[in-house]
Amino acid sequence: MLSVALTAIVVIVCFVDTDMRWSQLVRFPGRMVHYLGLMFGPPDLSTLGHALSATLLSVDMAWFGTVLGILVSWPLSFLATRGVAPLPVRMAVRGIFAVLRAVPEVVIAILILSVTGLTSYTGALAIAVGSMGTLGKWGYESMEAVARGPIEAVRSAGGNLRQIVRWGIWPQAQPEVLAFWLYRFEISVRASVVLGLIGAGGIGKVLSDNVQFRIWDAVGTLVIVVIVVTVIIDLASGMLRRRLITGRWSAPRLPRLRSRSAA
Amino acid sequence: MTATVGRAGTDVPARPRKPRTAWKGWLIAAIVLTITYVTGAAIGVNLSDLIDNWRHGASNFVKLLQPDYTFFPQTLRSLAETVEMAVIATFISSVVSLPLSFLASRVTNPRTGFMLTVRAIMNMVRAVPDLLYAAILVAVVGTGALSGMMALFFFDLGILVKLVSEALDAVDRGPQEAALATGASWAKADRAGVLPEALPAYASHVLYTLELNIRVSTVLGLVGAGGLGLLIDKVRTFYHYHALSLIILEILVIILVLETVSSWVRRRLIA
Repeated sequence: MLSVALTAIVVIVCFVDTDMRWSQLVRFPGRMVHYLGLMFGPPDLSTLGHALSATLLSVDMAWFGTVLGILVSWPLSFLATRGVAPLPVRMAVRGIFAVLRAVPEVVIAILILSVTGLTSYTGALAIAVGSMGTLGKWGYESMEAVARGPIEAVRSAGGNLRQIVRWGIWPQAQPEVLAFWLYRFEISVRASVVLGLIGAGGIGKVLSDNVQFRIWDAVGTLVIVVIVVTVIIDLASGMLRRRLITGRWSAPRLPRLRSRSAA
Repeated sequence: MTATVGRAGTDVPARPRKPRTAWKGWLIAAIVLTITYVTGAAIGVNLSDLIDNWRHGASNFVKLLQPDYTFFPQTLRSLAETVEMAVIATFISSVVSLPLSFLASRVTNPRTGFMLTVRAIMNMVRAVPDLLYAAILVAVVGTGALSGMMALFFFDLGILVKLVSEALDAVDRGPQEAALATGASWAKADRAGVLPEALPAYASHVLYTLELNIRVSTVLGLVGAGGLGLLIDKVRTFYHYHALSLIILEILVIILVLETVSSWVRRRLIA
């Protein structure tokens, strides 16, 4: 009961304190129908070619960034695993992951901007840095969740730490970790669209340009392309992930949205 | 399988040959490397920029380590706006998503065609990135916190309906069957038999979307939708890195506080 009351108070305070212009809401349905009509009735399909090449650039950005993020975070995630690295090292590495997860990719991009300019390369680097946080966390969580048996077996056979990691921990964690890499790629694709919106190139850049110049029929086409491409990538990656975890191909169901909390 | 005679005279089956699968790994590695090379070329990776300009980044980074605390009073309004957008959007979407989730679950909606239609629409709602909603809504509704809140609302709706309807799919159908057998309508059976079972999962998912919202609402302002993002945009155009540093610090603190509280509450909900 107390928690319900507390929640109600917080919500009410927010409603009272905010200076949103609620009167705008009255006109919203009409305007939205109007704008949807401009966007999709009919969308300007002549921009489709341009939209697809811009999307490819976004996907490129996401892929390169994710691979770079994996290359850095993978070794680091071992240093954050209990039983592999000593406590101080573990805490330091986990702290870095936590900070990287908390800073939005867009903010990271703004920081990198001063080094490489407003390019898709900057977007890729931002995705790389942003993905290190999540990938690192998922990495050490999976490696700490493995069964103890194989680790003890390696140890009792005289294996040193390196051999324990190689033969006791990694083979068990591998499918899950690989699946997380793919899952992170899906998130990166969305992030690359968002980074484009603030100018890092690709489909997001084209979108925000068209919204700013109010070329609504082109925006319609672009929105459709974004939706179709993200859904296709999610489905393909979801199938691959289930193949990795279960060991066989299965028909595409819609992928689970939330494998771990800190997406 | 051929059996060979072992040393002790007993039949020991020959070991099966180890399958040679290493080539698959190398093939996949080669494919991944090739794609990475191609994508790298497409986005124009160059190390010389990094080498030439890393000092800019480094000096900005140093500035970032020295937040300008005197800037704090100016950020308060944006900070409040960010939190308000997130809370209000979470609240409204949690109310709207509950009935929609019941329509989108196999367990509670016996009309398959209708259910699949609801799911298909929700999948489309979810496929649009958050900042894109904001960019379009800013053009439609005008700049300010309202368009940001509405962008968050649509974004949350997609996520919540997906997560909650999955939770509904997973509940034990016994109570619902019992209620239906007594002659209750579907609405009553769902209300009495399904809802109580799904409530903890529902509450935990709502908290999770609140966390996501806080993260997202800090950057929505970059496209004109109010909150801290608007302030970030302002200070970065004037290169006030000390101020930017304070804003990032504030984002870090809100997110960490919220994560701690929400993970504590969720653990209590599940247990």
